[in-house]
Amino acid sequence: MGRRRHLADAAGALPEAIAALSRSLPAGPSPEIFRRAKFDRPEAAPALWRLLFRVLSLLRADRASASRAPEAQARWVKAALRAQGYPRLGLARLPEDGSQGSRELLLALAWLLAREPLPERLLAQTRVRLGDEMPVCECGALASPGQPAPRVDTAGPVDVRRLQWLMGKLRFRWRNLMASQQEQCALLGKIHAYTRGCHGDRSLGHLSVAETELLRDPEGGRQLLQRLESENARLEAALEWRRRELVFWQWMDTVLGACPPEASQPTFPPRLRGRGRRAGAWGPVAWELQALQEELQAAVGARRAAWAARVGGQGPEWSAARQAAQEAVGRELAALRQAWARGGGRAQPHRPHRLVRTEAGGPGGPGLRAAEVIGVLRSREACLEEMLCQLQEQCRQQLARLAGALPGLIWIPPPRR
Amino acid sequence: MSIVTVQLGQCGNQIGFEVFDALFSDSHCPQGLCSKRENEAYQASCKERFFSEEEHGVPIARAVLVDMEPKVINQTLSKAAQSGRWKYGQHSCFCQKQGSGNNWAYGYSVHGPRHEESIMNLIQKEVEKCDSLSGFFIIMSMAGGTGSGLGAFITRNLQDQYSNSLKMNHIIWPYGTGEVIVQNYNSILTLSHLYRSSDALLVHENDALHKICAKLMNIKQISFRDINQVLAHQLGSVFQPTYSEEGSSHYRRNPLGDLLENLVPHPEFKMLGVRNIPQMSEHSLAYSTFTWAGLLKHLRQMLISNAKMEEGIDWQVRPPLSGAPTLGKMSANKNLHFNTSLANLVILRGKEVHSADLGGFKDPALYTSWLEPDNAFNMWKTQRAFNKYEKSAALVSNSQFLVKPLDMIVGKAWNMFASKAYIHQYTKFGIEEEDFLDSFTLLEQVVASYRNL
Repeated sequence: MGRRRHLADAAGALPEAIAALSRSLPAGPSPEIFRRAKFDRPEAAPALWRLLFRVLSLLRADRASASRAPEAQARWVKAALRAQGYPRLGLARLPEDGSQGSRELLLALAWLLAREPLPERLLAQTRVRLGDEMPVCECGALASPGQPAPRVDTAGPVDVRRLQWLMGKLRFRWRNLMASQQEQCALLGKIHAYTRGCHGDRSLGHLSVAETELLRDPEGGRQLLQRLESENARLEAALEWRRRELVFWQWMDTVLGACPPEASQPTFPPRLRGRGRRAGAWGPVAWELQALQEELQAAVGARRAAWAARVGGQGPEWSAARQAAQEAVGRELAALRQAWARGGGRAQPHRPHRLVRTEAGGPGGPGLRAAEVIGVLRSREACLEEMLCQLQEQCRQQLARLAGALPGLIWIPPPRR
Repeated sequence: MSIVTVQLGQCGNQIGFEVFDALFSDSHCPQGLCSKRENEAYQASCKERFFSEEEHGVPIARAVLVDMEPKVINQTLSKAAQSGRWKYGQHSCFCQKQGSGNNWAYGYSVHGPRHEESIMNLIQKEVEKCDSLSGFFIIMSMAGGTGSGLGAFITRNLQDQYSNSLKMNHIIWPYGTGEVIVQNYNSILTLSHLYRSSDALLVHENDALHKICAKLMNIKQISFRDINQVLAHQLGSVFQPTYSEEGSSHYRRNPLGDLLENLVPHPEFKMLGVRNIPQMSEHSLAYSTFTWAGLLKHLRQMLISNAKMEEGIDWQVRPPLSGAPTLGKMSANKNLHFNTSLANLVILRGKEVHSADLGGFKDPALYTSWLEPDNAFNMWKTQRAFNKYEKSAALVSNSQFLVKPLDMIVGKAWNMFASKAYIHQYTKFGIEEEDFLDSFTLLEQVVASYRNL
């Protein structure tokens, strides 16, 4: 009796778990789609392609528009998964017209879910922002290099004037950007000053731009409320998913079991918050990693020996140059260490912060002080300026050397500012 | 975003007044040919850029007036106040009791440093009134004494103090048969100094404006006021608001920035010329209609043949055949008169502006070999008509427009310099022969660069 109820409960728990997962993701399909995917039914494939596209493009902060044709979406999904290191060949072999392969897609989704807390991360990225946000670090900008620039064929010689033109354009854009940012700061300052005392939260004290708009435009307020409500719903779904997910993973084992064996059968990477069942999978993976490391060390050792043999035969000026290079590296390393120590040595927080204006001299709230952030930025600016001057000097010397090598060429350097 | 104007000398102050007047009149013109809401947006955009608000009272021009004599400044201030529609700030002007005798060196080395602090303070006050500063627009003559020497000094100061802000100098090119004997010296010194510290030099030639007044406006007795009004009309058609993008309904926030980014990014090519079509007396305007095709055809030929106005255009000048080698370009006789462009900006204002076809300006043959039309050609537009012209088109061009005049001035100055005529007037105040030589070198380089396009 107990066992039957347990089974019945389990039977009910799975659809609810999947439904929660689906509600917490953007473009989540119905649990029925998941069930059909286990049996590799073709009608489930398009919904799963769409889901994967949506999830991956959000993860990569890629503005790939939804108006891409399904084939293009499928191709993009394959490339994105490959870039993340997805191991199964079955996915790469799927046709892109969305006609089959729902089980492979389901496995890919589960792989993504296992690697990191996906619903939470997606929610964090698309969360509704009420305050005036200010980024405090450049990690985001540095990590996602954006679109690769279209490669220009430089088969022929490039006119240097064109390069100067483009550099100049870049400089002007930068200056215009600076002017726009100053304008934004001035206007933000005005709004913050004018709305002092209006905010319910005493620690904030004044309204942000979004909040001011809310008051001015009731229609906008309604839309904001809708967005907050849907965000809430997704948060609740994510919490429910966390409570119920074990039964999903048990079911995924059966899905994997239903697959025909692949040539190289990879194991699922163990979840970092490993619970019981999955802990045993550490073993083979760790063994693989160790083997890889030994192989790399051997290769590196061989290369080093070969290089040493090659340069060993060079004369004394080589060892002098080498010494100079080592000293330069050492100096740079010391400078970097110094700069890091100057910056307080503590890790800078990464997420954007809400901008809050306080009375001068008054007690500040929690969070960063603008003065501190400015100080850190100034020291970094000084470092970069130093580096820039060094590099410019090197360029100048190199140009002078090149010009000196050509007879009959008169070198007129541009006037220094 | 706001532009702060610095009006220097007699020339700068008289022109500045006409410019602000033209901008204000146009933005309050009832015949805008657009909806009321759009007109209000246009007005607001123009006002934010060039005027500041006071509690009650008329808008105040964002300008600083500088001159060594009080006469012209007082006239300018009273003319503006009399109109009752806008005015200059009470404390926005700086003047002294004495002139500078058309001596560039005196303006640069004596007046400049002596009055640097006061003038820069005035400018600083004006900048602080802006929510956001787009840049500076400095109006001056090239060949006079006060305007040119002091102007060069102030521009250099602006470069030092506001290094990130944009600067455009509006320069009046003197009459060929000039009034001042050392005007060529003054001109080359001004140009070379400005080339180093300014971002762009927008040039208006007195000769060209005079012809426009005579031939197109049919004015019998041409005064400086007439010339300045034509000039102001041309500048207004460049700086009044335009849509920010194709199909957008918002006005461009930073026209100065966009203009500079598109036309003068290369440090060796900073000389800009303006052409405007149609230009006629108000009386004739009532009887004329235009088509975009006709206007643009004329404008294009004005660009190619370096014509200053829409009458007397040389229609024989053609662009070189595409694919012809550079040598071929120079050997054909008619192509010697062909004006190669580096970059062009066409601004269209008026009825049915979306139907205007600008294909003619996108012809690669018009441009130098190392820039293609995608990069080199830009277009701004708005439906709102300008200054009662149902349709009007302006062209701001970075091209070989000014090579010949520049070469001529450099040549004349060099001839005088070779015999050391009048040099003592400059060396007396700290401008040495070496400064002259530096100026000649720089300008020869500019001429050569433009010739090699």
